[in-house]
Amino acid sequence: MRSRGGRLTIAGRELSGLRAEKTILLAIGIQLFIAAFSSFLVVGLVSMYDPGSLGGAEVEVAGAGDAVTDLERAASEVDGASVTRYEDAAAARLAFDRNAADAVVVANRHDDGRISATVTAPDATVETTVIVVQLRDLLRTYERQERADRSASLSESPLPLPERTGTSPYFTFTYTVLIPVLVFLPVFISGSLVVDSITEEIDEGTFELLRVAPVTLGEIVDGKALAAVAIAPGQALLWLLLLRANGTPVANVPSILVLMTALTALVVALALAISALAPDRRAAQFLYSIGVLVLFGGATAMAGGPANAVARLAIDSADATTTALVVAYVGIAAVAYAGVRTLVAENGFEK
Amino acid sequence: MIDRLRRILRVARWETARASGGVDRRTALAALALLLVAGGVLGGGLAAGVVGLDVDRDVYRVGVDADSPYADAVEEAPALTAVPLGSASLGDTADLVVFDGSRGGTVETVAVRASDTRKGEAAAAEFREAVEAHNERLMAAEENRTAAFPITVTLQYVGRTSGLDEGSTLGGSGDAGGDDSGGTGGSDDGSGGDGDGSDGSDGDSGGSGGTDGDAAGEGGAGDGGAGGGGFAVPSVGGAAFGADTVGSPGSISPPFPFVSLLLAFVFLVPMNFLIQAYGSSVLDERTNRRGEPLLVTPLSPVDIVAGKTLPYVAVAALVTTLIAVAVGGGALSVVAVLPVALTFLAATFVGAMFARSFKELTFVTVGVSVLLTTYAFVPAIFTNVTPVALVSPLTLVVFDLQGEAVGLGEVLFSIGPMTVGAALLFGLGLGVYREEDMFTQKPVGRKFLDALAVRLRSVGAGTGTLRSRSGLRALAPVAFLTACTIPFVFVAELLAVALLFALPVTVSIPVLLVTIAFIEELAKSVHLYAGFERGAFARADRVAVAVGAASAVGFFLAEKATAVVQAVGLTELYVGRAAFGSVAGMEGLPPIALAGLFFAPLLLHGFATTVAAVGASRSRTYYVATLALATLIHAAYNFGVMRVYA
Repeated sequence: MRSRGGRLTIAGRELSGLRAEKTILLAIGIQLFIAAFSSFLVVGLVSMYDPGSLGGAEVEVAGAGDAVTDLERAASEVDGASVTRYEDAAAARLAFDRNAADAVVVANRHDDGRISATVTAPDATVETTVIVVQLRDLLRTYERQERADRSASLSESPLPLPERTGTSPYFTFTYTVLIPVLVFLPVFISGSLVVDSITEEIDEGTFELLRVAPVTLGEIVDGKALAAVAIAPGQALLWLLLLRANGTPVANVPSILVLMTALTALVVALALAISALAPDRRAAQFLYSIGVLVLFGGATAMAGGPANAVARLAIDSADATTTALVVAYVGIAAVAYAGVRTLVAENGFEK
Repeated sequence: MIDRLRRILRVARWETARASGGVDRRTALAALALLLVAGGVLGGGLAAGVVGLDVDRDVYRVGVDADSPYADAVEEAPALTAVPLGSASLGDTADLVVFDGSRGGTVETVAVRASDTRKGEAAAAEFREAVEAHNERLMAAEENRTAAFPITVTLQYVGRTSGLDEGSTLGGSGDAGGDDSGGTGGSDDGSGGDGDGSDGSDGDSGGSGGTDGDAAGEGGAGDGGAGGGGFAVPSVGGAAFGADTVGSPGSISPPFPFVSLLLAFVFLVPMNFLIQAYGSSVLDERTNRRGEPLLVTPLSPVDIVAGKTLPYVAVAALVTTLIAVAVGGGALSVVAVLPVALTFLAATFVGAMFARSFKELTFVTVGVSVLLTTYAFVPAIFTNVTPVALVSPLTLVVFDLQGEAVGLGEVLFSIGPMTVGAALLFGLGLGVYREEDMFTQKPVGRKFLDALAVRLRSVGAGTGTLRSRSGLRALAPVAFLTACTIPFVFVAELLAVALLFALPVTVSIPVLLVTIAFIEELAKSVHLYAGFERGAFARADRVAVAVGAASAVGFFLAEKATAVVQAVGLTELYVGRAAFGSVAGMEGLPPIALAGLFFAPLLLHGFATTVAAVGASRSRTYYVATLALATLIHAAYNFGVMRVYA
């Protein structure tokens, strides 16, 4: 009973320190900034690349050459492009220079059966990107029609495409990047807090004061870890609720929180181990940054990494493997924390 | 002078010796071991084939018959996972179900049914892209190249008014400036070629359409779906298909300086580690009064800080030069990145001077990294789009890597503001580099006020009138301090615009107007509050009016000065663009009206700031209330101006 009280006291002391310095507000502010800015970036970039999201930009193509009829046929299938026929390349080019056309395509048939398309697009402006995207669409449609006409010479004909549907690439981004980032930021912050908290106490000599209090080293470690782990799921939940309020439903919230809490425990264990090993705060923070980078970089690159697991849980495509993964992460975290705690409790933070 | 330099160098040597002791051999070995383990695991994973940075792996479930040719397409798309058709129930275990109308081996038509959610739509789009990528792969395996890739595309980018590359064909009309712009066209083409050369590794998509077309097609499909996994911007094929290159239609990717941008980002990465060490070193001085011996030496705070900072600047310069050599940048890259490094260090210095503990410092460093990285990186994305991108020096790096020529005016326009900002930040931090602030645990806000108040002179304390020469001289620092806030006001406003961008216009415009008004009013009055709180100004209404007016004049002058600088810089950049359409429209107005328009902001600033200053002279509560009032006045004025122009 007494020992539990000791742990809670230490944890409470940690939390009140955070509250007094308002660091937690700063942390949430930073997270908000990252979230808002990455969304801004992606929305901006996507609208540069996806003309559909710009509200049906129509690209006017000046066509010329002996295959221009086929080009017109292709354009009739593509929403965002229309082809106007000119008698020769020079006339088409003149129209381009007079701003009567957005781009020039000169398509010619050759004796060997190939068709060459010479495309002229305006140089480096915002519209260039939109125009080139639409041109690619037009030319791919054209290519598909030509392939269909020549299917006799192909051993396998291309598969028919399903109909085009309207969707925003932002949807996939939200679930596969934004949500994992928001869920994992508090994890890193918690680990960093532990490193700072321990190295600072050692540095200022207050750790010795804590040692003479009637608590064991293991309890001190538990208390600090408890405080750091406890603040993480709340932040993640805050983001998920905010997203839900913004019209992005997140599925499997309890599983996501369990997964991120397990990861926080794992990172906190790493932070404890590093602050026990490293000589001072600078070295400890340095090692911690590298360690987290290695841990998460490596884990994300693996099939079934935590980022992907969160994405699949959030988008509601989880299956038995995802559940197994969550359980596995909880197990790994428990073992890692218990191991580090034992080591630290035995050897202390002796330098 | 030489003496001072010698003193600074001595501190720098001492700092170097101390810092290199901090990260000892054991730490370095541990870091190396960690990296080795990571490398080993990644290498092993690569060998085993389980590694891939697909964050969107298996996020959409597609019900498809295992015998269907579409099963292969689904299998090869990382974002899709196949569910047997029999057990697939739409909306529950599958997001999309594929029915192919296959008759006797050939597929005539295909029908998909998606669940009626945004997820279903996204899955359908992803599936379509997967089929396109699958087709490209099928075609790549074909014997008959002509039938598989019937179309060869040559893509060239040409300026509108410049002549054709062949230099002929055009009649006289439409290109009055044909001669000199021909040169521009030429240089642009050259740059395109350069970009292409540097990207050689990720896509020699020229020449043979076959396999390369396949690779690019696949990349395009995956990316389009991911909608940018982190940095997987749509069409990451990179500049694989730059100017004047040839390939199949699938390999076209829009012009985007992706690789140059990524390389420019590499310059920013070491800064994050550098400021961690620097921030620790500064805060170390402050814990346990370790910096006290240094303060009692004859060294001035400027010497100490300059000396402590010098080694980090040197490291930044060295690392930047190494990176520049490694990625093929020139001297311009180094010149452009150094102000960024200085700003990183300056912001960290201020943070470390204000922070009360390492915990707080950690957040300050993270905040500095995030803010400055976005500030430097985001404008650079629009390098080829708008000259305003030059507000970030990183844009210069992108230009440099693309091999484009940059004028001296552009360089100054780009690195000037950041250098000034760094100097101002160092000045702010130096204000509290003194015994009574360094070793005390004051909240950040109070310390900030201290740092501001240090720069002020006492006003209205004695019997001297404000109209006397000494009274005016005392007001000069007030105006100067306000003028110094201008760079930070601009940055804050820029960020506000960027952050509010996602909101609908009906909400974002009013919020933006109020936010901008608040930022400006705060910048004009916060040091006045500091002055009253710290006793530099006498708490009297006439003093409040005087300092309020002085602050407004400072703001007005600085704003106009930067407007002139910007106008000069931008006219140079926007050749021939009607950037001054609004000014041109005013030509018909009588001079008095023009003068009125010109000085109207001064009146506004004067009035609003005086209101805030009167509140600041009373108490904190009054200050908050009058600041809100001033913000509202300012916002109302802005709104009125907007209505007039509209």
